[in-house]
Amino acid sequence: MDGNSSTPRITCAYLSQYVGKLVTVVGKVVQLRGEEATIDADGTIHAFLNREAHLSANNGVQIIGKVNPDLSIKVLSSVDLGQGVDYNLANAVVEVTHRYKPLFLYEN
Amino acid sequence: MAGYGGYGGGDGGGFMSGSQQGGSQAGGSKYADESLRPVTIKQLLDWEEPYSGADPAIDGHPVTQVTIVGQVRSVKPQPTNITYRIDDGTGAIDVKKWVDSEAQGGEDGSGASAIAPDAFVRVWGRLKSLGGKKHVSANFIRQIEDFNEVNYHLLEATYVHLFFTKGAPGGGGVKQEGGGGDNMFVDQGYGAGGGDVAMGGAGPGGGNSAMQARLSTCSRNAQTMCNFINNSPGGTEGVNLHVIAQGTRMSTRDIVNAADELLGQGIIYTTQDDETWAILDY
Repeated sequence: MDGNSSTPRITCAYLSQYVGKLVTVVGKVVQLRGEEATIDADGTIHAFLNREAHLSANNGVQIIGKVNPDLSIKVLSSVDLGQGVDYNLANAVVEVTHRYKPLFLYEN
Repeated sequence: MAGYGGYGGGDGGGFMSGSQQGGSQAGGSKYADESLRPVTIKQLLDWEEPYSGADPAIDGHPVTQVTIVGQVRSVKPQPTNITYRIDDGTGAIDVKKWVDSEAQGGEDGSGASAIAPDAFVRVWGRLKSLGGKKHVSANFIRQIEDFNEVNYHLLEATYVHLFFTKGAPGGGGVKQEGGGGDNMFVDQGYGAGGGDVAMGGAGPGGGNSAMQARLSTCSRNAQTMCNFINNSPGGTEGVNLHVIAQGTRMSTRDIVNAADELLGQGIIYTTQDDETWAILDY
């Protein structure tokens, strides 16, 4: 991956700003159905998983993927974060990311 | 960088600073400038080397050691080092951990092989630039157990950035780019009432520029302390050492030193006793 590219941390509310782009989402796995997962990240996000994904319902997850035009996410990489993820903290980081963009993301 | 000249001058003889300038390649800069700054990888990538071999600086402040937190994207063992590609979502950078053949099985020696791709890690090290390509020369890498540390780090990096560009929380202390507008933008003070903070922040910034100018030459601790007193409702009664210690989380010794500095500048004065201070208003 090129050094000068970022995968901004976003929540559900920011999806529409990032269609076609790579993003990072931290949220809670609400439901798992085969290769489709429902993730709560300050709102519900549908994610299409890859084969390597090992997620568990009710655990935290970090996914990196591409935002589809229908605002679902095609997952490229996912990490199970277990219990104990502070979602308020994760959402705060998303807000800070967008408030102080020069620290966090390259704008194309 | 403004601190450089002053420091060298006070050194006397110039032997120390002279010899150490030459050795800066080996990372031996002045101890007073040593710091460990939390940063995002993008901040490291955004630093443009003004000339070859320049000391890295972020937000106009020299950075010596940095700490980054990210996910390992690849691991490349090499004869003299292990190169990790670390990505924190803001960018990706190579981190080289030199292999110390004598410290095998040590805390991080053994950990090196244990760090797998996709793991979250914290890295301490120095930013290096070789032929325009940057990497971090790591002193230490450890795996992160609690994912919240990743988010914590990003907030901390933001906090430190704001500290350097806009001054300490609680108003006052505007440095660098801080224009008048920025002063109002300062984040929450020390939990004082919102209105009070705004007053405290805007007051000295606008009206008392002489004091601000003097305060800006003071140490960070002194600025923090001054801003805290400014935002406290103590008035002419002053604010006691213990209250300051509680509010700013500074140690007693730091506060006493900061007080000496502020007293010397004529910014504060002692009130009821030697451990209670108030702002000297003009």
